[in-house]
This record gives sequence, structure tokens and C-alpha cells, in this order.
Amino acid sequence: MSEDATWSAVAINPGDSVAVVLRDVAAGECVAVRIDGQIREVTAIDAIALGHKIATVAIAKGASVLKYGAAIALATSDIAEGQHVHVHNVASNRAKKAVP
Amino acid sequence: MGGALSDGLSATFMGYLRADGSVGVRNHVLIVSILGLVNRVAARIADSVAGTLLVETPYGRGQYGADKTLHRAMLGGLCLNPNVAAVLIVGADRRAVDDIAALAASGGKPVRIVALDDTHEDSLAASAAGIRVAGELVHAASRLQRTRQPASRLFLGVECGHSDATSGLVANPVAGSCVDRLVDAGGTAVVGETVEWLGAEHILARRAATPMVAEAIVAAVLRREAEVAASGQSLTGNNPGSENIRGGLSSIEEKSLGAIAKTGTRPISGLLQVAERPSVPGLHLMDGPSFSPESLTGFAASGAQLMLFTTGAGNSFCSAIAPTVKITGRPQTAKLLPDQIDFDASAAFLGREDIGPLGARLFETVLAVASGAATWGEIHREGGEAFVRVGASM
Repeated sequence: MSEDATWSAVAINPGDSVAVVLRDVAAGECVAVRIDGQIREVTAIDAIALGHKIATVAIAKGASVLKYGAAIALATSDIAEGQHVHVHNVASNRAKKAVP
Repeated sequence: MGGALSDGLSATFMGYLRADGSVGVRNHVLIVSILGLVNRVAARIADSVAGTLLVETPYGRGQYGADKTLHRAMLGGLCLNPNVAAVLIVGADRRAVDDIAALAASGGKPVRIVALDDTHEDSLAASAAGIRVAGELVHAASRLQRTRQPASRLFLGVECGHSDATSGLVANPVAGSCVDRLVDAGGTAVVGETVEWLGAEHILARRAATPMVAEAIVAAVLRREAEVAASGQSLTGNNPGSENIRGGLSSIEEKSLGAIAKTGTRPISGLLQVAERPSVPGLHLMDGPSFSPESLTGFAASGAQLMLFTTGAGNSFCSAIAPTVKITGRPQTAKLLPDQIDFDASAAFLGREDIGPLGARLFETVLAVASGAATWGEIHREGGEAFVRVGASM
């Protein structure tokens, strides 16, 4: 990797299934994702706003979405690599168990 | 990991070795008003004598039960903080003054008192007496010298305030990376704000050093959640809020994981109550309030000498007793607030630098500040100490 390499998305933990985009990304754009010191290209399927998540692997409906090396939510539909991952296709597992 | 470990083990700073074996990174002569009635007396003394630092409480009477116990523990804890070279206790009745003075003196540092009881309730006479005594304390304290000390003697408090989408992504993980280095070097750190663990409590519990600590962490979160629920509000109902969701946060778990990234990755040695001193080194949690002034004072009262404070949009508040290093991952904040932000981590948000190297640089900054380099907050005299209440007054 060259000294001046930059990236447009970051996976916080090497085992994560999502990365956070560091700028607005257009649908169809090729996104350089920083994972464990390496850069991997992922093609964005959706437009994704800065600070939002892109799937770096396919996530099956009902599977955990991993960020920070931990489950942040469950997928409520099948999510393809490159898709925007947010409240439209994931749900909190904790909020359901909250003290009423 | 091998490199980071050896770096940490050989890391040192220049600090003030105290009689109780703790090491100060500052050399304050604390003027402590232990009662809201005498704050003006304490303020006159602090205004008149260079090298003093004022700590005042608006309370001190009409408290009872756990709230009274905590108030006393906070006053005593702030006096015992390693950054404090000497203490002048200012109060009204001798009984309360002598009680806090005895707590403060248990650390072996010079402690003097001024009480209205001794000046026939004459606050000006008390102020004059205090100015003379405070001057003597500063004269002696100024003659103490810094000596080289291992990083293992450092105790960091780690806080966040006015967070945004960059906090969980950059500033908090950078702070966490710095905490990992300190813990590997044998040092101590504490992270508070119990409500911010909600949704990540099981992950924190898995990192607990013992099953007892794990249970205490989960119980602390459930207790706060239940207390808030009893008041008719829900911690999870509208959390993450609409602004969080617009910023890209999808669940309470994700929000909390971003917040607890400040803790780094090492095992959690213990769960502290506000103002409780850790009995072993390593990473600790504090079951405490989320409002920064109260949280930071809780850390300082438990003995933290230095604070890491991550922010998204900016936040000027600092601990008065412990130098507070402000860290942001947001490029605009670093640019707009050059004399508030001590550590600019925005290279990670711009996709130019990884968290690890930034954490290593932050650790170097911590050692420099511990050795006497001033933070922006110190230069501009930001912040103060705020006492936590856990009950109503009589």
C-alpha cells in the first residue's frame, strides 16, 4: 500500500459485516473500505450518506449485523454486499428486552 | 501488541510523589469550601493567593443517608487526589471542618482549616486568616519537585461530551487504544456514564475480570433503566433519537458500542461507585451520572489525575483538578476550535490514518500533559468540580 493511500469507509473490527462510509457515496460507486490495515473495494448498491453503514459481506435475514466485533442488530431482510444497512433492514435486539 | 506493550512498560512521566505513594501530575493547593454558606470566604482566599485552586459545594447541610455519605466521600476524595499538594478546608462549624480535614490528612499531605466558629462568624476575618494560611501552603508546595515516574502510576478518567457520528468511529476508539496502552503498562483507567452502556452491558460483562464484576455491571444498567422507567421515561423507547438515526446509528447497541469504545479492549477489573478508589490497577467502570461535570468530579474524587475527553461538535468543560485532554475525530471541530482541542484525531475520519497509530500518539500526549504540558482547558481556566446528589435535601 502506498504512503498516500486513503479510504472512504472503515470497518472498525476485522470481523465486522459492515463498514462506515466517511463521505456521501452514490449508488454504483466503488468504495475503498479500510479493513484491518488493508483496503478492499466494495461496490455500493444504494446511495449511502456519510456516517451510515455499507454491508461488506452478505447478511442473511435473521443474522446478526456485526460492528465493533459485536452484534448491533438483527437483519430484518436479506442484505447483499454493498447495500445500505440501517433501520429499514435491521432491528435492535436490546430494545425489545427493555424494562417496560 | 508486543511493540505496544514494551512501549508502555518503558513509558515514564515527571510527577510529584506524595506521602501516600500516589503521584500527582499537578501540584494544586486546594481551597475547599465544604459548605455553601462559606463559598465567598473560600473564593476570596483563592482569588488572593496565586497557585491555589478553588473547589466549592453549594451543599453541605440538610443532607442525609446515602446522599450525605456520598457528599463527604466526594469532598474527601477530591482532597486526596494525587494532584493536590496541600489542602485548606473552609467551613462554618468545627465539627464538620475537622471531619473533612481528618479525611484529607489521611493521605499524609499538609491540611489546614478555617472555620467561622473560630472567628465569631466573621467571614472577613476568616478570609484574612485563610489568605495567610493558603500563602504558607503554596510557599511549601512550590518547593516540591517532579521526579521520573513509571506510566503505571497514572490513573485516567475517560469521558465523552457532545458526541456525534465521528465519536464512536474515531475519537472513542482512539481513546480506547490509548487506554489499552496504559493498562498494558500497569496503569489504571475509569469510564463512567452507566446509561451509555445500555445495550452493550453483556459485552462489558464478558470482559469482566470476575463473575461478580460481570453481575455488578449488568445490575447497574438494569437499576438505572428501571429508575428512569419508574419516572415515566424510557431509555430505549426513543434511543437512538431521530438525530442519531439521521447520523447513521441503527440501534441502541450500536450507539452504546460507540460510547464504550472509550474503554478499549482489556479486561474490566472492577465496577466503582462514584468517588470510590480502585483497589487494583487496570480498567474500571464507574456506576455514575452521564452529565460530564458530575462524571468528571466522580473520577477526580476516586483519584484520577488526568482526563481524556472525546467530543464530536466540541465541549469546553474540564475537570478543575485533573488536566483534561480534549480529543475530536471531526475535522471541522479541530479546525473551528484550535484552542479547545488538544488532540486532533480527524485523520482517521478523513481516511488517512488508522486508530492504532493515533492511540499511540495520544498516549505520548498523555505523558507530556502528565509531565506538565498545559491543556487548552487549563490555560483558559475552563471547568470546575460538580457534586453529585443521590437524594433530596431535608
